[in-house]
Amino acid sequence: MAEIKLKHIHKRYENAEDFAVTDFNLDIQDNEFIVFVGPSGCGKSTTLRMIAGLEEITEGDLYIDADVVNDVAPKDRDIAMVFQNYALYPHMTVFDNMAFGLKLRKMPKDEIKERVDHAAEMLGLTDLLDRKPAALSGGQRQRVALGRAVVRSPKVFLMDEPLSNLDAKLRVHMRTEIAKLHEELETTMIYVTHDQTEAMTLADRIVIMEAGVIQQVGSPFEVYNSPNNAFVASFIGSPAMNLHEVTYSQGRITGKGIDLAVSEPSRKELDEKGYEGKTVIFGIRPEDIHSEQIALDTTPETVVETTITVAELTGAESILYIDVGGTEMVAVVDARDFHQAGETMEVAFNMNKAHFFDVETEEVIRKKPIEEVVETTI
Amino acid sequence: MSARDKTISDDAISLSEKGHRQVIQVNIVRLVIYVLLGLLAIVSLIPFAMMIINATRTNGEILQGFTLIPSNALMENYDILISYVDVWRGFLNSLMIAVLVTLLNSYFSALTAFAFWAYNFKGKTFIFGFSLLLMMVPGQLSMLGQYELASNLGILNTYWPLILPAIAAPFTVFFFRQYLYTSMPYSIVEAARIDGARDLLIFHRIVLPVLKPAIATQGIFTFIGSWNNYMGPLIMIRTPSKFTLPVMMGALSGSPVANNLGAMYLGIAISVVPIMIAFMFFSKNIISSISSGAVK
Repeated sequence: MAEIKLKHIHKRYENAEDFAVTDFNLDIQDNEFIVFVGPSGCGKSTTLRMIAGLEEITEGDLYIDADVVNDVAPKDRDIAMVFQNYALYPHMTVFDNMAFGLKLRKMPKDEIKERVDHAAEMLGLTDLLDRKPAALSGGQRQRVALGRAVVRSPKVFLMDEPLSNLDAKLRVHMRTEIAKLHEELETTMIYVTHDQTEAMTLADRIVIMEAGVIQQVGSPFEVYNSPNNAFVASFIGSPAMNLHEVTYSQGRITGKGIDLAVSEPSRKELDEKGYEGKTVIFGIRPEDIHSEQIALDTTPETVVETTITVAELTGAESILYIDVGGTEMVAVVDARDFHQAGETMEVAFNMNKAHFFDVETEEVIRKKPIEEVVETTI
Repeated sequence: MSARDKTISDDAISLSEKGHRQVIQVNIVRLVIYVLLGLLAIVSLIPFAMMIINATRTNGEILQGFTLIPSNALMENYDILISYVDVWRGFLNSLMIAVLVTLLNSYFSALTAFAFWAYNFKGKTFIFGFSLLLMMVPGQLSMLGQYELASNLGILNTYWPLILPAIAAPFTVFFFRQYLYTSMPYSIVEAARIDGARDLLIFHRIVLPVLKPAIATQGIFTFIGSWNNYMGPLIMIRTPSKFTLPVMMGALSGSPVANNLGAMYLGIAISVVPIMIAFMFFSKNIISSISSGAVK
C-alpha cells in the first residue's frame, strides 16, 4: 500500500553532458499498475532504478507515501524488484532464493516457511523448491524472481523488463500471470518495458518516454486514441499509425494522392489556430482505413483507389501495404476479404478518427476528448 | 526374382566386408594411441615409482641398480632419516604455512576482485593496471626488499614473512575478477541489496559461494606454490626446527644422510606423496564444483 510521487526528477550520469531523465513528474496512486514504455535509452529503466534506490537522483524529490526517500537505502524503501535477467542467487535453492530477504530481516523460521510456501503455491513452484536456478527453465526462473518479490509483501513492486528473456508464447502467458498477481496482491506496481503490447495489456496508466522526457501519461485507451504528439501516435499501436505531411486548406487536406475533407471539430480547430495553407502531419490508424462496402457507401467522399503492394495475413486480419497515389500506407482489414498483392482496392478513410500534428513541434493540434473517441468508436 | 535376391545379398556381403575393414583400421589407430599414451604414463610415473621403491632399499642395493621390487629397509631408512632431521616437524611447518597462505590468498584476493568488479572509484583503472604490472616482476627480484622489510620489522626467522605477502596476489585478483565479470551479472548484487544485504554480507553470502570453483582451482596452485617454495624459507628461516620440508631436504644434501640414498629417497617421498594424494582427492572435488556451480 503506497503512493509514490516523483517531483521534478532529473538524472545525469557521471561524465555525461546530457540528462538521462529530465523533469520527470508523476503521482502514482496506491495499487496502481504503471508501465513505463519507450524505445531503448529513453530513460525508463533509469527512472525505475532511481525509485529502487539503485541510482542516485541528481535533482528533484522522490516520495514514497509522505517521506522523501532520495537518500534512503534500497533495503529501507520497502520495495521489491524483478530484473530482466532474473538475478537469482545461483548457489541457492529456489526456497533459499525466496527466503533470503526474509532471513536478513530476521523473520521467524516458521513464518518464512509459511510465506515461501504460499508464494510457491501461487506461482506453481511448490515442486521446485529444492532445485537450484541452473536446473530451471526460463519461465520457472522468472517465476522464482517474482516469488522472491512476492514473499516480501513490499509496498511497491518494480519490474525491469521482466519478460524480455522469454520466448514469445511464454511471454504472453507470464503477462497474464503478472496481471493476475497484481489483482491478488493489490500492490502498487511499476513495470518497465519496450514492448507496447505489454504496456497496453497490463497498465492502468502508461507513461510513454522518449529521450528522458515524459511524452504522455494516460490510460491505454487514452494514449492509443488521443495521443499527445506524433511520437506517441507512432510508438503505440502495431502496425504503427500512418503519418504523412499534407497541406491544409479550405477544410481539406491535400498531399501526394491524398485529397480528403477534414471532419468538423478538427477543421474548426485548424482554422482557429491559423493552419490555413500550412503543412500539417496527418495521422490515421491502419484500422481506420476501411475496405468494406458499407464503409465505402457511408462516406463516398473519402473513397480513394489504391494498389496493394504487400498483403500479410495474420489470421483474423490482413495487414495491407497500399499505395495511395504515391503515398505508402498501411491498412488492417478483415482477412475474409481475401486481398492479394497487386490488386487494386477502394478504401474509405474514417476522417472522424484522423489526427493532426504540428510539423515543427509534432504536438497534436486538437487533443481529442475521451468522450468523443468513445462516441466515434461506437 | 532369385537373380535379384542374389545381387542384393552380394551387395550386403561386400558392404559388411567394407565395414569390417573400417572397424579394423579404427582399432589399429586406437591401439597406437593407447600404446603411446601408455608409454607417456610410464615415463611420467617411473620417477615417482623409483622414489617410492628406493625408499625401501638400502644404500648398497640402490648403488647396484634399479629394480621394481621393493626391498625391506624402509624402517632402517626411516631411523637414519629421523636421527638427523625431524621430518614430521618439517611436514607440519610446511602444511601450516601452505594452508594459511592459501586461505589468506583466496580470501583477500576475492575481496579485492569484488571491489574491482562491483565498485567504481577514482583511480580504479590505474590501480588495477599497476597491479597487473606487478605480475610481470619476477618474485626473486622482490626477495631482497622483502628480506630488508622483514628484518626491519623484526620478523626474520618467523613464518610471518612467508605468510603475510600472500595477501597481495595480483594474479589471483586478476583471475577472480575475470571470473566475476564472465559468470556473475551485477544485478545479483543489486537484488541482494534490495533484499536487505549489506556489502560485506553480499560478499560472504553471494560472491564467495559463486567464486568457489575459481577459488578451488586457484587454491591448488597457491597451495602447491607455497609447499614447494624453497627460496623464501631458505632466506627467512634460520632455526632448523622451523625449516619447511624443501629447506630440510636441501639441508640433507650436506649431512651424513646424503651418504644413505635410501633415507634420502624416503625424505623426498614423505615431502611429495601426501600432497599428491591430497591433490588427487581435491581435483575430483574441483571438477564437480566447477560443473555444479555453473551460473546462467
